Amino acid sequence: MAKPNPQVEPIELHGDIWKHIRPGEVVLDAQGITKRYPGGVLANDHIDFKVRAGEIHAILGENGAGKTTLMSILFGLLQPDEGEIYVRGLKTRFRSPEDAIKMGIGMVHQHRKLIPAHSVLENILLGHPRSKGMMNLKLAEEEIMALAERYGFEIDPRAKVWQLTEGEKQVVEIVKALYRGAKILILDEPTSALTPLETDRLLESIENMTQDALGVVPFITHKLPVVLAISDEVTILRQGKVVDRLKTAGATEQILAQKMVGRPVIFELRKGPMEPGEPVLQVEGLTARNNKDVIALKNVSFTVREGEILGVAGVAGNGQHELAEVLFGLRELEGGRILFNGQDITGASVLERWQLGMGYTPSERTEVGSIPDFTLVENVAMNYYFDSRYNHRGFLDYKGLRGLTEEIIEEFDVATPGPDVKIQTLSGGNLQKIILGRVLSRQPKLVIANLPAQGLDVGATEFVQRKLLEARAQKAAVILISEDLDEILSLSDWIAPMYEGEIVAMIPGSEAKKDEIGAMIAGVHQEEGA
Amino acid sequence: MLPFLIRSLEAAMIFTFAGLGELVDQRSGILNVGLEGIMLFGATLGFIVAKTTGNYLLGFLVGIGIGALLGLLHGFFSITLGVDQVVSGMGIWIFGFGMTTYIGSPHTGPLGLDQLPTWFGISPFFFLAVIMVVLVWFVLAKTGFGLKIRSVGERPSVAEVSGISVTRIRYISVIFGGMMAGFAGAVYALYYNPVWNYNFLMGWGFISLALVFFSMWNPYILFGGAVLFGLLWQLALNPQMFFPGLASRYIWRMVPFIMTILVLVLISSKWFRSRWGATKPEALGRPYHKE
Amino acid sequence: MMTLGGYHIKLQRRTNLPGWKAAMISVLAVLFGLALFSLIFLQAGQDPVEIYRQIFKYAFFNSYGLGLTINRFIFLALASFAFIIPMRAGLWNIGMPGQLYLGVLAAFGVAYLFGGKAGNLSAPGVVIIPLMILAAMIAGGLFGAISGFLKGKWNVNEIVVTMMLNFIAFYLVAFMIKDGGPFMNLGGRGESFELPEAARAPMTGDFPITLWFVFILTIVLAVLFARMSLGYQIKAFGKSPMAARYAGVKPFFIAVLVFALGGAIAGLAGYHYFAAVPGVYKIARTYGYFGDLSFYGVICGLISLGNPIATLIIALLFGGLSIGGRYAQGKLHLGFGVDFALMGVLMISLVAFQFFYNYQILITKKEKRLDVAVSD
Repeated sequence: MAKPNPQVEPIELHGDIWKHIRPGEVVLDAQGITKRYPGGVLANDHIDFKVRAGEIHAILGENGAGKTTLMSILFGLLQPDEGEIYVRGLKTRFRSPEDAIKMGIGMVHQHRKLIPAHSVLENILLGHPRSKGMMNLKLAEEEIMALAERYGFEIDPRAKVWQLTEGEKQVVEIVKALYRGAKILILDEPTSALTPLETDRLLESIENMTQDALGVVPFITHKLPVVLAISDEVTILRQGKVVDRLKTAGATEQILAQKMVGRPVIFELRKGPMEPGEPVLQVEGLTARNNKDVIALKNVSFTVREGEILGVAGVAGNGQHELAEVLFGLRELEGGRILFNGQDITGASVLERWQLGMGYTPSERTEVGSIPDFTLVENVAMNYYFDSRYNHRGFLDYKGLRGLTEEIIEEFDVATPGPDVKIQTLSGGNLQKIILGRVLSRQPKLVIANLPAQGLDVGATEFVQRKLLEARAQKAAVILISEDLDEILSLSDWIAPMYEGEIVAMIPGSEAKKDEIGAMIAGVHQEEGA
Repeated sequence: MLPFLIRSLEAAMIFTFAGLGELVDQRSGILNVGLEGIMLFGATLGFIVAKTTGNYLLGFLVGIGIGALLGLLHGFFSITLGVDQVVSGMGIWIFGFGMTTYIGSPHTGPLGLDQLPTWFGISPFFFLAVIMVVLVWFVLAKTGFGLKIRSVGERPSVAEVSGISVTRIRYISVIFGGMMAGFAGAVYALYYNPVWNYNFLMGWGFISLALVFFSMWNPYILFGGAVLFGLLWQLALNPQMFFPGLASRYIWRMVPFIMTILVLVLISSKWFRSRWGATKPEALGRPYHKE
Repeated sequence: MMTLGGYHIKLQRRTNLPGWKAAMISVLAVLFGLALFSLIFLQAGQDPVEIYRQIFKYAFFNSYGLGLTINRFIFLALASFAFIIPMRAGLWNIGMPGQLYLGVLAAFGVAYLFGGKAGNLSAPGVVIIPLMILAAMIAGGLFGAISGFLKGKWNVNEIVVTMMLNFIAFYLVAFMIKDGGPFMNLGGRGESFELPEAARAPMTGDFPITLWFVFILTIVLAVLFARMSLGYQIKAFGKSPMAARYAGVKPFFIAVLVFALGGAIAGLAGYHYFAAVPGVYKIARTYGYFGDLSFYGVICGLISLGNPIATLIIALLFGGLSIGGRYAQGKLHLGFGVDFALMGVLMISLVAFQFFYNYQILITKKEKRLDVAVSD
């Protein structure tokens, strides 16, 4: 385990508050934190926890358990309704992130808080005292490189952020927080977007920071193996309350999961055997560019058959998103052909694809998959306004659509007061369920599911996965795009890891091994890894 | 020929002032389509004040002042009240257009004061415009404050968690934009075309808006575009200098407007689009909500 | 969140806006605007209540004034529809002036082709009039479609384009009616020739047939948006272009369609004012004034939130205010442009009230957790 480079000293920004820290000392003490949202939802219910210097204290909980709210409060993005926060014994109130930063709290967010168009240096300097007046870029660059070296990070200050991988962006954010003098580092879902290799490197760096006796790092994660591997102590949240606090040493995944969800959790999803049928989708040589006009798909070819699930695995930004869009006609193809049931649909419009029997659940549920200001019925109409069952000579049969919506609500267990409320009132899980229900109700022959279970809690995830398996059992072809290797492994008949716009291999589900796939999506070549 | 060029540059300076203000504004993420309304107000009130008091300085100050106030109003609507920025901008435009038609009508006609002095035959405001171009570029590109403005316009949530008050930065930008627009209007009414008539700005505010898009938010390109349009405008007014008898004067008056449309089409073409898309402030026009 | 006395006052984003609440806010916005506007009367040393009384009396209860009001109502309703159709698609059509100018030119062009300039028509009115109306709609529609095409194909900003087209059309009209242009009347007065009687729009009772166009369009638009697939597609596109595209709606088609429809209706507005209003029947020297008046359509559209029936009511109100305002302007020797000032004040009041469409005010008692919500 590497130690921080003693030659390089970090910059001290906060004066007396952080002098003479003893390892094991309580540096952050949150007591009775309570936060209520409009509508009466209690996001945080009298939460207490303590963070000690040199320790890694993980916060674990399902989506909606209140983790994000808690961390936002600790970072000054939200104000608690009740409760106190003590930093090294000093009672403090964070009215804005600026207050939190001044007290030595740094945060690295789940969804990168960086400006893609700016350089690494500009991003790190943003808001930093060093950037007052005319920016002294040279001095800042030196200090930042020194800091990075101390903890073993590699960064290129001149690179533009949009060019970096997720792992590299995260490093930038960490360095940014440290450069601002953070002594307590809050990491929000730090490993969710990383390859297994990057995850290991991150965990090593975190160890480094704790060795420095000052960097203290609470985790927030629902990746149970990571929690066990790295943390010293775990606080478990459920429905806004602290349900337990344990030393990680004696815990197992089962115990943690049970406490998170409140009931025993089954980790295996049963997938029945299926005889694959006729090819439904054949793509040859697909090439396309992304929004930055860089080639994102390079000569992709594959076939999917009836009753098969093709799992496209990979870390975000390797072309999966562009693949989904190209298949559905939402992005221009620069080269290649798409054959659907033997028919060349390369030039077909989006509407034609729906009508021919393709279906797509996008990853952007509120921007693309649904219209927030429309009611549930109007949202369901998105896939039916052209359908002659509900469109009679240009007039829409809203009554019939309402009935259809009610059916979908029931079959997909959507929690909502009724079909006439606006869809923005639905929680993430329910929104995804109704989108999925809407698409699957058309009984498409091909379903493209882009990150269908992302951000959903265990219950909703299970439901979504079950529905995809049902579609498969009904002889649909399914393309599942996911960043969750466990999900890919448990659902797919074939696995196609993607890296930098190319499909690295086509591996039968039964033969796939997790670390092999993990290496492929990280760009490690077969020759080296095996 | 020389007077033609000078008038062109003088028109350019007005486009530049209005355009620079809007450029800074847009860099911070606020779209103000009501530019023409603010310019009309700055022009009309500045004109009235100067005419009734005989004092030029007062006229300019009032123009700048009303511009700042309208900028503040736009900011209040779109930042604090969360009204859609285009609705607010359109509101400011119709408000300006409607009110100035009424307020200015008793003062229809020439200003009646001695013309402002010139340096080397051209208005000193031209040199001011050039200095402002360099100044705006410098602040945006080289100072910490400029970095803050740019960041707020790209990803306000990032700026917020870096400890920057997005609201404060945007208010400053929008007020600055308003001041510049009001000033541009005052220069128009007090120097360039000191004869009041209803809607006498002839769409210059909208042209300046188009110039900001065209400039890809670069002050130097903005200035170049402003000069180009200044020349075009003079051409439209004096076609006989180059094309005597070619067409009715009314057809010629259409030229700058046709060119503006063509310019906008040009920057939407594929070649331009990727470069333009890369420089566009990502958060332009989108409201920022703290939670 | 503020605290006042023993109460918390909090602003909260709305999740739902029932129709009656929206209507209430709109009404408040108009009242507020009128109240604000009365400052102008105060400045002129008059009693605002008395002025408003006179305005309404003239506009709605005086037979001559009512006639003017109805004619203006028709014009404003059409201008509003021209704005509303693109508005529901999330696009801004401020090109009504230009589109109506083109409509007028086309209508007068038809009359011209049939010898109207000289006064001897070579075909009966029954042939010419429908052709004029059709020409107005087609010309306005095509002119509007330019903006729609540019937006749909290349995402060119429609606000600037429609505004530029306004100026272009303005000069086109000037070209046609001044300085010896083709439509200039024989007396050389810088305005167009007068329409011979047979080419004038027929009247039903005291009002031109264009009144019926308004009613027909109201029904058509109401049905379109409430019940038809096309209306659904337009609304979806207006709410979320990306989601609509995902659902198979074609952005190019929608953009061109809504601008063509809007432009056609604006062309009709032009036809109405210059070929159907008694006493006009020509393109006056002050045609620009009417072009600019069509911007009222923007305000009507925003207040009515795109609802065609509400638009009728508001257009009637504004028609009355506009006519009554001119009357008051004359009587009180207020400066020219009182109705424009009114336009400005109403617009800014409306923008301010937009806030209430999006947020509601919650007042809760401080100590107890009783949510006594007094929402707006």
